[in-house]
Amino acid sequence: MNTFWIVVLGAIYIYLVYNYYARRIDRDIIQSDPKRATPARMYMDGVDFMPTSRNVLYGYHFKSIAAAGPIVGPITAANIWGWLPSLLWLAIGVSFIGWVSDYTAIMVAVRNDGNSLSAISHRLISPRTRTILFVFIFFYLLLVAGAFMGIMAALMAARPDVPFGIIILGVMGFLGGQMLYRWKMDLIVVTVIIVGVTILAMILGPFGATWNAEKGAWNWVGPINGATVAFNKAIDSITGGQPVMQVVDPTNADPRIPAPGPDGKRPKTALYDPETGLINTMPSYLFWALFLLVFSYLSATLPIWRFAQPVNYIGFWVTFLTIGISAIGALLAPFIKPQVGQFALEPVKTLGFALDPAKPWQPLWPMLFVTIACGSISGWHALFGSVGTARQLEYETDGLPVGGGAMFGENALALLALIAVSIPGSGGGGGRFAAGVGSLLSVLFGDGFRPFGTALGFGVFIVIVLTVTQLIFRVMRVTLSEWVGEAFPALKNMHVSTIVSMVLTMLLVLSGTWVYLWQLFGAANQLMAALSLLIVSVWLKSIKRNPAFALWPMLFMYITTMAATLVTARNLLVTIVPKGGSIAVGGWAMIAIAILLFITALLIGWDGYQAYQRYARGEAKPSAAAAD
Amino acid sequence: MSQEEKKSFWQNLKEILYGMASHDMSRYALRTRASMEHLFILITMGDMIGIPILPPYYSLRLLPYVVPQISTWKRRLLREKDISDAMF
Repeated sequence: MNTFWIVVLGAIYIYLVYNYYARRIDRDIIQSDPKRATPARMYMDGVDFMPTSRNVLYGYHFKSIAAAGPIVGPITAANIWGWLPSLLWLAIGVSFIGWVSDYTAIMVAVRNDGNSLSAISHRLISPRTRTILFVFIFFYLLLVAGAFMGIMAALMAARPDVPFGIIILGVMGFLGGQMLYRWKMDLIVVTVIIVGVTILAMILGPFGATWNAEKGAWNWVGPINGATVAFNKAIDSITGGQPVMQVVDPTNADPRIPAPGPDGKRPKTALYDPETGLINTMPSYLFWALFLLVFSYLSATLPIWRFAQPVNYIGFWVTFLTIGISAIGALLAPFIKPQVGQFALEPVKTLGFALDPAKPWQPLWPMLFVTIACGSISGWHALFGSVGTARQLEYETDGLPVGGGAMFGENALALLALIAVSIPGSGGGGGRFAAGVGSLLSVLFGDGFRPFGTALGFGVFIVIVLTVTQLIFRVMRVTLSEWVGEAFPALKNMHVSTIVSMVLTMLLVLSGTWVYLWQLFGAANQLMAALSLLIVSVWLKSIKRNPAFALWPMLFMYITTMAATLVTARNLLVTIVPKGGSIAVGGWAMIAIAILLFITALLIGWDGYQAYQRYARGEAKPSAAAAD
Repeated sequence: MSQEEKKSFWQNLKEILYGMASHDMSRYALRTRASMEHLFILITMGDMIGIPILPPYYSLRLLPYVVPQISTWKRRLLREKDISDAMF
């Protein structure tokens, strides 16, 4: 297999599903009508409700849904099960479940006065569903923040060529806000300066480093990376070079664990001991975690134009340019550099069904379906689509190209990530992605560019994750204040609520097993999508339309993600909790969240089932706003 | 590809890129402006309900700017909101 065939395969199934399945559902079941007034036109307020061109909305929706999910998920899954199961789930998932979830979440909101999913569930299912959904969403966000923070801190601590680019991103964020909103400079000039400097800083990270062929590792002796190494050492000397704590990652997905050598064994490094499997959490790791928290704190508490928005803007351009050029590299690789385009990863590594009582259990079902979340289906999309996009849709017929189209676009991004991990790379998670980007850029710019391309890949990966994390802390702050602000007035203070959110997140991060956090996040994310499909199924039943196209995917995702939540809780109980100490505290916290998510989903599912039956028996009629 | 189709292609591409890069910035700017306008409306609210707060001369000068905003202001103010509205 090579990159070219993946691109061809992706293009074919996206074309077929969009034209012959999605359009049919849009026409026959949802019956979108360009003459029916959308909430954007009915309730136009010039701000939230605003008819917007479908091209603009497509770009807006795509950018808002495409975060770390479609990149980390396929990479992690391909590392565990091989590229073939990942490819199949990406293709089948998006074709029959993913676009359905995105598109219908928008349409159900459009047909319900532009209300959010929680407001619609309150109206269609039961009042308590809304409250339970809020509890679910908060812990879902906590898991996203924990998973993302853990992966970023480990990368920043393990790669001395990466932090400089991220520091410059923060500086350019401040400068960009100042230039755009205070000095009123031209947008194009500002873009060229802030994006150009950030990309340059990311590329220059490995400048001057030399490759040690004997050790198979880099000597970080360049001006920037050398200084970062010296800085990390200075911080580590606080504890005399001893780790603050030791953690384990039974799945070997932590970025601090080195890739296996030619003999299949992982080498011993300053951060990892292959004999015991212990990963050293050094003071420098805590420093970079703290740096990222400060970065997110500024985003969550400063006026949005001052920092968060310009950082997102730079992040978009850096990501767009890198991924766009990498995609060209992927397309041309089989012709220019066939050895780069070939897959080195096995098609199927394991199916993972064999159960060892003392080891982590990663059976293909249900774990693959939560490890790859956003490229196939995602609850985040449904949340965003119902609140952000549905209120700007000018015509109902724009719903499919915007919602469904953006989901297929994200699936293409996930395929690119799968390509990046399947061609030779090193390291886990983000490392594989970065190495893949380095390889693809070397197709266009030559082998000498590979280390710089890899550094850019790392930078892009962190940018994608960081821009979402800063938004999540902002949302968690608002959610905490609104929820418990009345009971605990201190939480109404935005600094207090932000810090509380961050402390909760760090508790999860310090358990040291981001892959479980990732899978728990994946399960919560997919459950959110299943709940969105549940609301859509109930809505379709209430208006006497055939809900099968949403109902079956909902049942599959609901059962799968509930099972995955239990498997992850079991893995935590067997592999993390017995280690004791602070690791066990994080492990127990994750188990508690898993159980909480399970119970909330069970309650929502039960309420949804009862509502569905009521509408099926004709005992209840939809309220005026829920009618078609 | 005809000249018109070419133009439409580039126009579409431009719009998609704008949607990805800057549409959320425009929305935030609009939200900020809307919040300011709500405050402005609040200043003249007294006159609307018959309790003059500002001297009538200034109220009458401000009123033409406020009246066109009243319908959208009412919609924004009275719309059902929940936490998920704060998310995006």
